[in-house]
Amino acid sequence: MGAAVAGWTVAAVLLQVAGLSLFLYGFFPVKPTLRGFSGPESYRMPSCGPVSAGEQEPALPPDQLRSLYRELAEMPPVYDRLVLMVIDGLPAEFVLGKGGKPPSKELMESMPYTQSLLAGCQAAGYHAKAAPPTVTMPRLKAMVSGAIGGFLDVAFNFNTQAFLEDNLLDQLHMIGHKLVMLGDDTWIKLFPTLFARQDGVSSFYVRDTVEVDFNVSRHLEFELAAKDWSVLVLHYLGLDHVGHIGGRRSVLMTQKMKEMDDVIRKVHSASLQDNLERTLLVVVSDHGMTEGGNHGGSSYEETDSLALFIGHSVERPHCSPYDQNEALQVDLAPTLALLFGIPIPKNNIGVLLPEVFNSLTDNQKLRTLELNSWQILRLLQAQMPAFCLEDCINWEGGLGIVVHPESTEKKFCHLLSKAFVSHQSSRLHQGSNFMSAEAQYVGTSVENYYGFLRYASEWLSHRATDKPFYLLISAILLMIMSCLFLMGAVSRLFKGQSLSQTDLLTESYLDQRWHLDEVFILTGILLYVISLGSSSFVEEEQYTWNFLTSTLYLIFLIKTVQAMLKGSNSVLVHRAEEKRFDGNNFSYASSYELTPGKRDGYKLCTILIVLVAGRVIRAWHQGGINWVHFPDISKLLAQADSSIVKSLQTVSVLAVVALYSVSLMLLRARSKVVIGVWLSHIYCGLLVLLHIWENQINTSLPINHSTTSIARLFYGTASVSISATILASPWIFPAYYTETKPASSSDSNPVKDIDSHGISDSVFLTGMTYTVFWCLLQLLLQQPINAIPLLLIFLQTVSSIAHFSLDKTLHKQWVQVIAMQFLGMAGHFGLGNTNSLASIDVAGAFIGISSYSTVLSGVLMFIITYGSPLMLYLGMVVYISMKDISTPQQLWSYVLDKMITMPCLLPLLINSVALTSYTIVLLLMRNHLFVWSVFSPKYLYVCAATVCTYVGVFLIATTAVYTCAVLTFRARGTGMSPIDRIMVY
Amino acid sequence: MREAASPPGGSASNPSRPHQPPPGASEDRPAGGRSRVTPPQLQPQRACLNVPNRSRAMASVTEISAFTAAAAHVLCFAGLAAAHSLAGRGALVSDPARALRLLVVCEAPVVIAVFSYLRRDPKSCSFFKAAARGLIGLPVGAFLNAFGAIVLGAPVGIKYWMVTIYWSLLMSLFTFVPAACVFGASKIDWQNVLSHSIYFTPTEVENYMISAPCHGAVLGAWLGAWPMPLDWERPWQEWPICVTYGAVAGHLVGMAMSPVLIAVHKRRVRAKAD
Repeated sequence: MGAAVAGWTVAAVLLQVAGLSLFLYGFFPVKPTLRGFSGPESYRMPSCGPVSAGEQEPALPPDQLRSLYRELAEMPPVYDRLVLMVIDGLPAEFVLGKGGKPPSKELMESMPYTQSLLAGCQAAGYHAKAAPPTVTMPRLKAMVSGAIGGFLDVAFNFNTQAFLEDNLLDQLHMIGHKLVMLGDDTWIKLFPTLFARQDGVSSFYVRDTVEVDFNVSRHLEFELAAKDWSVLVLHYLGLDHVGHIGGRRSVLMTQKMKEMDDVIRKVHSASLQDNLERTLLVVVSDHGMTEGGNHGGSSYEETDSLALFIGHSVERPHCSPYDQNEALQVDLAPTLALLFGIPIPKNNIGVLLPEVFNSLTDNQKLRTLELNSWQILRLLQAQMPAFCLEDCINWEGGLGIVVHPESTEKKFCHLLSKAFVSHQSSRLHQGSNFMSAEAQYVGTSVENYYGFLRYASEWLSHRATDKPFYLLISAILLMIMSCLFLMGAVSRLFKGQSLSQTDLLTESYLDQRWHLDEVFILTGILLYVISLGSSSFVEEEQYTWNFLTSTLYLIFLIKTVQAMLKGSNSVLVHRAEEKRFDGNNFSYASSYELTPGKRDGYKLCTILIVLVAGRVIRAWHQGGINWVHFPDISKLLAQADSSIVKSLQTVSVLAVVALYSVSLMLLRARSKVVIGVWLSHIYCGLLVLLHIWENQINTSLPINHSTTSIARLFYGTASVSISATILASPWIFPAYYTETKPASSSDSNPVKDIDSHGISDSVFLTGMTYTVFWCLLQLLLQQPINAIPLLLIFLQTVSSIAHFSLDKTLHKQWVQVIAMQFLGMAGHFGLGNTNSLASIDVAGAFIGISSYSTVLSGVLMFIITYGSPLMLYLGMVVYISMKDISTPQQLWSYVLDKMITMPCLLPLLINSVALTSYTIVLLLMRNHLFVWSVFSPKYLYVCAATVCTYVGVFLIATTAVYTCAVLTFRARGTGMSPIDRIMVY
Repeated sequence: MREAASPPGGSASNPSRPHQPPPGASEDRPAGGRSRVTPPQLQPQRACLNVPNRSRAMASVTEISAFTAAAAHVLCFAGLAAAHSLAGRGALVSDPARALRLLVVCEAPVVIAVFSYLRRDPKSCSFFKAAARGLIGLPVGAFLNAFGAIVLGAPVGIKYWMVTIYWSLLMSLFTFVPAACVFGASKIDWQNVLSHSIYFTPTEVENYMISAPCHGAVLGAWLGAWPMPLDWERPWQEWPICVTYGAVAGHLVGMAMSPVLIAVHKRRVRAKAD
């Protein structure tokens, strides 16, 4: 049976991994991006064959580069100075109206200057559709690079927020423009070294709508008077804050828009004073807002952002300013690049905005379109390596036009060659005297270019955001299948157990009726799964877990009390139990001779410890998203003196060391190995203490070398002692009883008994070592404030194990395993984790690492974030050592079966249920408002939790299998070899 | 196993005295050890024989009919309704402390009086003694309920103290006090109150009368806490308003259920007798 269950489990895990990776691939597509920056090669027609990324041309000084670009582009830049004014959260509807109608009178009046520019055809406005997620940072990236990043970019760029892709600002900087930035500090995070002057304001205090904009405008007068800059970025956050507070129709809105209009007027009049008309003012918004003022999703209200160009090249004799002029937000990048004579960023998928190039000649216009097409063609070639322009032209040149091209590739070919051919012919007719003919040729080639550009842009953007529905469905089917496999394995297990129970434990009072805790666990899991469908419950998941866990332990309390009240009945059980314990190992040696009354007392005590500790952990971090500002203990401590935190850390370290020492005392064998492990543990504890105190002395220095070396010493010692313990522990125990009970070892039965003792003791030692070293590692890595919660989680683990081992019949085994898993999840949120990516502790991920390494710091980040669930999995190793495994048949596979199937299968099953149901939720919610802000980050956590479960289960399984294998090997050899005695003494 | 030996609080779950062995658990018990007893869920009738003074009382107690239980519950409901009408509509949301105080003040005398009258051992125990049991049980039950609520995440800030106290007193009236008045310190009965097995196995009539409203109140309060973390920003999401609503609703459902359960039980017993 064991082999079959193991086979099913492995199959289920493999299926799950396959399904999960398929879903991730489908839901969060990682598009291939081109590295590096566009250079002079972007003014040449892309050649066929593989994209040569390696050829780096020597970096030229800025002014040379600028003249080179001007020469290659065959036209001078249209503007020299750029004022990029970002109004956070301004819907285009407020300025340009909707559906061809101007905005409401109130809104018109709130922006008088802008509206007069629009009416006077001095400005061109677009509804620039933003791609989800409609939050500031990705939108700014899209504007300056012309690329739509995937959601996973956020996750992958954790350590560095600096923007490394090709973008406008870097290109402008490269040709010698001087940049100044005022406003949202997101820009500074993206471009930390680019700006000559900067004043960043934080978007942290959403309640503030005045100060945040004043901090930008106060520099305006100075900057407008200064002539040294050529790119000025203004980012006003106030309007977004107004929206967050009062929604679209907030009373503050018109006032804020008047303020913005005033800024536009000031900047525009200052730029007019130059008389040279070399300044372009671009007013954009990064995203819109919903009726309630939120953003993040993909509704029209949120994606409807503004792009307004004010400058000489957009002026035209007549216009209709309130036409619904649709564009994409990414179109800003190529437009600005060509207006300023720089290469279009490599990953741009935007298309030139036509009205902005009014001042150019027809030939120059065609040239800009050609450059844009070449750039997009390069990007297409990166996506479809086989695609080649020359083949297209050769293949199609003579044949005439194919009416219905079949594949996308051929369609591209067709459109592109049509555009280039018409451009060629318009060039040929350039000299002709017939103006109308020339205009006609230009008209067709412009049309053809736009035909290609629009199609290619759409195709590329769909590549970035489209979700292949059938792929996702099949991924989910795989996960459901894996879930069913696991359920099948578990039900087999239960069937087998009930059979063996009827065989062996007929006297057991465990009846087949459902108990309260069992019913509750099933209901609780169901409720949890349902709660995953609500964004609020996902945001505030810590409440759910704490509530469920505490309720489960309260039910344990009730059951314990009930068992105590049963009085006479319980005595029988205890008597039976003690009979079974007779000669059985019991690592808590003291409870061995407990009277039933004392035992009940301990049972109550352990549960109360778990409950009270859980409540304290709950109060430690408020957590969640909506009420994160509420007072909690961690905020109190953050305000208090740092020495208090340090002393709490010290207390936790000492308590962990003391608990380990006590648990080793309970172990009856005291061989050299045990003492060695103990000493190394104390040494590690001292190292952690040293690290804590060292940190206190040098608070000013973020990274100092002594703490780094201490941390490294800790990693080294801990890993050596843990691996030594794992390898050695099965070799040191079994001989023990041959020394103490020589009289009883006359026949074969005691030898078997010895075996089971050996297993229990060595697994106990290994598990305890795992847990305490893990605890010390967490104390080293976690924020100082988390020291006490960590200690409490450790206490909860130990008390739960003690409770379950004190009375093995009160709760069924699967209930115990699931209770421990619940504790792990409650603790996960108790350590301050939330379902938003913002709460991940990045600072701790660099402890003991001197040079930057993504893999190492990623592993540390994972260890920090999943500290609590992994601690409970490691505790599960201790828990399996407490199991009653002395059975008549002492086959090692049977022992293994009893020990590990349940603790391995159940976490896998629960995780699989959570993962599968949440995947379905995510698929259903893919068009939900909060899919990018709430559901997707949570999905990353769910995936990481799956990895965490695999790691935990793997550890449990390998430890138990190794121990059993070694002991069987030894039992098969000489039952009691003299070597054993030597090793013990 | 007389009442004097162990007060109600100690027999239920007294966290302050965890080390004391319960009298029934040790092997040299004075009373319980006389006869070997099977688990009470399986054979409740024999379990009752265990306690001599109770078996005497049995004859008079089993007379409780569905009608009596319904009448008792109607009286309790009247107490709640009176408090509600005194407090006025929506008082729980606008001023939870006052509304809860009114509920406790109106409900306490009714509950104690009604259930002391229905005490299970009227021969050996006077009405006033039962009422005194109820009065002692009130703070003890309140403490236990407050402990449960706080462990489950009820806020402990100073501004919540008053409402928490009133709420736990009310919960005590729903759960602990009736049992204290009727059962005193009889362990088996307390164990039955904690158990959910009475719904599946036939048991005594009082168990239905006491347990169904008690379980209903606890379950209702538990379910009532679920909307609290939602970001609807409604005033009733505050502690303990929705929990109180849930508890009262659950209690009322339980009160409505218990006469039905008793009637069903009687019919079953009659059918068996036939």
